[in-house]
Amino acid sequence: MSTLKKLSADISGSSAVTVVAGLAVCAGLCIVPFFVQNPYLLHIMILIFLSTIMGESWNILGGYTGQYSVGHAAYFGTGAYATMMMLQFRQVAPWYGVWVGLAAALVVALVIGSICFRLRGPYFVLASIAVAEILRLCTLNLPSLTNGAEGILATGLPPFTIGGTVITDFSTKIPFYYIGLALAPLTILVTWLVQHSKLGYFFQAIREDQDAAHSLGISLTLYKNIALVISAMLTSLAGSFYAIYVGFVDPPTVMALDISVQIVLICIIGGIGTIFGPVIGSLVLVPLSEALRSNLIASLIFKTGLVSPDSKFGGFLNDNLAHAHALIYGILVVIVILFMPEGVLGFLKKLAVKRKGGEA
Amino acid sequence: MAILEIKHVSKFFGGLAANADVSFELEQGMIMGLIGPNGAGKTTLFNCITGYYPPSKGEVIFNGRRMNGLQPDKVCKLGMARTWQKVRPLAKLSVLDNVMVGALCRTNSLKTASDLAMEQLKVVRMEDKARFLAGGLPIGERKKLEVARVLATQPQMLLLDEVMGGLNPAESDEIIQLILDIKGRGITQMVIEHDMKAIMRISDRIVVLNSGEKLAEGNPQEIVSNPEVIAAYLGQD
Ligand SMILES: Nc1ncnc2c1ncn2[C@@H]1O[C@H](COP(=O)(O)OP(=O)(O)OP(=O)(O)O)[C@@H](O)[C@H]1O
Ligand SMILES: [Mg+2]
Repeated sequence: MSTLKKLSADISGSSAVTVVAGLAVCAGLCIVPFFVQNPYLLHIMILIFLSTIMGESWNILGGYTGQYSVGHAAYFGTGAYATMMMLQFRQVAPWYGVWVGLAAALVVALVIGSICFRLRGPYFVLASIAVAEILRLCTLNLPSLTNGAEGILATGLPPFTIGGTVITDFSTKIPFYYIGLALAPLTILVTWLVQHSKLGYFFQAIREDQDAAHSLGISLTLYKNIALVISAMLTSLAGSFYAIYVGFVDPPTVMALDISVQIVLICIIGGIGTIFGPVIGSLVLVPLSEALRSNLIASLIFKTGLVSPDSKFGGFLNDNLAHAHALIYGILVVIVILFMPEGVLGFLKKLAVKRKGGEA
Repeated sequence: MAILEIKHVSKFFGGLAANADVSFELEQGMIMGLIGPNGAGKTTLFNCITGYYPPSKGEVIFNGRRMNGLQPDKVCKLGMARTWQKVRPLAKLSVLDNVMVGALCRTNSLKTASDLAMEQLKVVRMEDKARFLAGGLPIGERKKLEVARVLATQPQMLLLDEVMGGLNPAESDEIIQLILDIKGRGITQMVIEHDMKAIMRISDRIVVLNSGEKLAEGNPQEIVSNPEVIAAYLGQD
């Protein structure tokens, strides 16, 4: 029993192997667009990057600091709107607009923090939802500023140039792929830096026991707000990226509650409070939701030959499985949470510990 | 010189006076035993002193500084650290990381903190448990972890709330020795304990609380021979 505990403490430590493997994966991903030009596949990859950025960002506040915000759509939307508003209303290129988004997210985070951090546990969760909803309603009801329910449509991105040379004109998905490939490892790096610094220790102490942390000299207000600001700014980066990729923002697509829930799910599925949990979560959730959306299940069933697409039942499957994707998605998520309460990564770790424990 | 002065401290929970007009002083480097029956208000007094909540009335003076209204983190930074009666390990962190959190109160360097934490683990003889998860420790080691963790904050004064509670005699003896070692380092201590023998052995002075009020104060001999104390407290056993 005690060897088991010792090993699990050992495994959570960092190792050079992880760093080397991570760099190798990144290098491999860099050359993918030379071989894969299929826009749909690139689209899936971009969504995985985006989801990783969102998950890693939330993880710093939720996973490491234990403050389960279900209002991160507020920061995602802030980044998305700031970038779009600068682009469409002020003709400012997104790579400058992003900074406006980051600054706005900082302000929004400090305001939200000053309200929500008065509360603990479930009350904090409810407050985070409420405050994000208020921000969504403001965005919806201030059309002079945000275009309200109509949203903002990008009429085109200016080409990205360095010293007069056009690097890209954003006519394909490839530049977005590389943006995602730059940002996702960046958020992983930030998480790694946090975990291996005083901040990480203090965040986790707050997560494990706020009163104990407080009595050990940790200012709860200060460190919760630091975690929130890091988390919110990275989330806003994800929002900006999403906005320029899709070219359209409106309150339901960038500010709604289901985005906040989606962000939390990435971490819960992958493994809360771990560096690679959100990556795993994205690798599971993005393909899953895409498969369900594009009715992959029905076509797989037809492929097995058990049911013909022309039969009555086949028609029923074809019509209904596509519409039921949210339901099936939900059921699968519940199953994962039930059987792997610590996420896929936690589950794999436990398996590894059992193996090693058995050998020792 | 008095390092800690408690002046007319009262704490009310609704109508209940958990502490009622408690006053005493504690000299630098001494061990003060704080005893009294269950519900006497001992933990409440610790909470008032360390800023967990402010006293309803009265003053807490530490090193000549008025502490009322200071948050627990500030109190810790000023050199006063407490353990919890109901232990509060950071369950998913390793034993070493738990102690490092305490050490990081005074340094930004993980290396320094880790060295300091390892030193404290040696003091409580838990260096071989450094990489274990704190959540999996048995109660005796959890109590020692609490002590190592507060020691790592490099306090001038320690408030220990029933660190021997639930321990077997051998473990208690180890803690008694530990408390005496800490005294040897010049750290002032206030110790809540139900084990009379232990408290008599380690305390320079003893304060007895009963129903929130200070019933008696004196050295161990005075306390054991105080008829009021015997009636209210010792007589119960
Ligand atoms: N937060 C609180 N709210 C209301 N009543 C409280 C609170 N904390 C303590 N009390 C009450 O105050 C009284 C003193 O409690 P306290 O925990 O200080 O006693 P104690 O001397 O530490 O007892 P024990 O030896 O059992 O630890 C008790 O009657 C308790 O029920
Ligand atoms: Mg108590």
